[in-house]
Amino acid sequence: MMKDDAAIIETHALTRTFKEVRALDSLDLAIAPGELFGLVGPDGAGKTTTLRLLAGLLTISDGSASVAGFDLKRQSEEIKHRVGYMAQIFSLYGELSVEENLRFFAKMYDVPDGEIERRMERLLRFAGLTDFKDRRGIHLSGGMQKKLALACTLIHEPEILLLDEPTTGVDPVSRREFWGILTELHLGGTTIVVSTPYMDEADRCSRVGLMYAGRMMRCDTPRRLRAEIQGDVVIVRHEDWRKVGHAVEEISGVLQVQTYGEALHLVVDSAEKRIPQIEEALRKEGLGAAEIRHAPARMEEAFISLIREMEAAQESSQEA
Amino acid sequence: MSLRRLWAVAVKEINHIMRDPITLGLVILAPTVVLFVMAFAVTVNIQHVPIAVLDYDRSPTSRAFIQRMTAGDDLDLYAQVEAFEEIDALLLRGKIKAAIVVNPRFAEELLAMRSMPLLVIIDGTEPQSGAHALDHIAWRTEEFISQVLGQELEALGMPRGSLQTLDLRVRTWFNPGLKSKNDVIPGLISLVLGFPALSVALTLAREREHGTLEQLIATPVGRAELILGKMLPYIMVGLVNVILIPAIAIATFHIPFQGNYILFFLLSAIFLFAILSMGTIIGVFIHTQPAALALSFLVIFFPAFFLTGIFFPIAAMPEVMRMESLALPGTHFAIITRGIFLPGVGLEVLWPYAVMLFGLGVGFSAVAALFFHKKLA
Repeated sequence: MMKDDAAIIETHALTRTFKEVRALDSLDLAIAPGELFGLVGPDGAGKTTTLRLLAGLLTISDGSASVAGFDLKRQSEEIKHRVGYMAQIFSLYGELSVEENLRFFAKMYDVPDGEIERRMERLLRFAGLTDFKDRRGIHLSGGMQKKLALACTLIHEPEILLLDEPTTGVDPVSRREFWGILTELHLGGTTIVVSTPYMDEADRCSRVGLMYAGRMMRCDTPRRLRAEIQGDVVIVRHEDWRKVGHAVEEISGVLQVQTYGEALHLVVDSAEKRIPQIEEALRKEGLGAAEIRHAPARMEEAFISLIREMEAAQESSQEA
Repeated sequence: MSLRRLWAVAVKEINHIMRDPITLGLVILAPTVVLFVMAFAVTVNIQHVPIAVLDYDRSPTSRAFIQRMTAGDDLDLYAQVEAFEEIDALLLRGKIKAAIVVNPRFAEELLAMRSMPLLVIIDGTEPQSGAHALDHIAWRTEEFISQVLGQELEALGMPRGSLQTLDLRVRTWFNPGLKSKNDVIPGLISLVLGFPALSVALTLAREREHGTLEQLIATPVGRAELILGKMLPYIMVGLVNVILIPAIAIATFHIPFQGNYILFFLLSAIFLFAILSMGTIIGVFIHTQPAALALSFLVIFFPAFFLTGIFFPIAAMPEVMRMESLALPGTHFAIITRGIFLPGVGLEVLWPYAVMLFGLGVGFSAVAALFFHKKLA
């Protein structure tokens, strides 16, 4: 772990309460300069609240935080000069053109006049929007809107980027393009905090924080989070996959059955123990041989199994 | 405060106004339309009010009287009835708005110059046309009496001059049309020029609803820059109205404009500053457009209608309401507008009202900027 004094974002017991609900419950987090930090968790876990707090858009209920060396409570306006924040929904001006939106935000961020045209041209090229610079915001596709929003948050060349689900509702090609841009920024040294519902995106982060019910439950590299998963993934391929599915569901160590096209992904407690049992079950049903192999767990499985664990823990604590 | 950022906010808002037909219509078209509708409603002359007559006298004089009564366009003789009950039936069915009952010895009493009752029945459910009918009946009666008596005096070889002055006095009483138009329309102009306050109340709520406020407050833009930058375009649009609306009103309703137009323009700018600041306060506190719209009507336009002295005299109000009317920009601006339009007074008379307007503007906009926080919650 890094030392605290090296962190560009640092929170201590940061808490935000909405009426009775603790949307964010004593968050302790340190993010080093240049990190690409992913925030994952189910809806309502507190990802948006965290990002809005760090951007200075919400008042802090309790705890403290510093961003780019400034105190979040007292110096939120200084922070705004150094941070680029992108909201979850499209929140640029629909009746303004791409270029007008960029120019407007450039002026809001005090970008000097001589710089504006140069930066705009570069960002438009960067975001692939040069040909659409006269199009109004509302007439852009979802993917282009997201790229324009990113360009607007980059116009003042911020040290820190806070992105709230920047690729939700975007087609896979635009999603890939968007991450191409993020990679370049990451390589350029910008600190990025991004929330995402997509586990393949979480896999691309240098560190991932898993949030649940307002709390940061795990915070580690994707590789180590994947290693935390309880059990293994077994892939079963068979012509009659429906029957196979029903047959293996009965086995006690099979925790989950998911279909992927004509293959079944099973989460089991132990591959070594269960693969022979699966083969046995298929023989009994007279289904014949199937292609069965042990696969590495992906972020998605790790995420789901961790969430299941937390849900179970919460239920048992409520019963107690 | 950065003027560059303030101006950038203003330019963005101008673009929004120009590109959104609804906003543009609300700020430019609505004041003109409302002025016309209300001006016609207030100043229109009621004509052809149907009446019934019950003539118990049946003398040549009473017949002449009835004829005189319905000679013009004001009253139409719907029916000449035989019995009192018929009047009742006609009134109930809404066929007539008024009825005149001529008593049996009408001619006799008239020529004897004795006090003579004339029964007039008015449909109270429609006070406007009823009152109008009553005005005309009274006026025509005076006219008829003086004419009959004048002829009588002439026949006796006496001059009829003294009766004419009586006639003139009645005319000024019962012909208020021109006077009220010159008074009401400048008042209405002062009312409709405040309309952009509605749009400015909506603009902050709109940014909240569309989520654009979230992106905007993530920037270092200052509160005063944002508040004033948003008001500035609506002041400019309001000043377009200051040019258009009096011109249209003067051309259409032929009302006099005797004061200094430059002075009117400048004082209008101060008024717009004051009333738009009032609208901005609503935008700061109310976060959805429908609620902001409803509250604008409640807080800005209903008081502007009833408490600014445009239609109802402030002197007749209870103490509390008189205090409230002083806090309304419309009260001072109505005095300014009327003063400049008709008597044509200048700053030597109007300066206290101008100072009040400016003070209200500074006060309201300070409240707006102080209570606007760059936070979502």
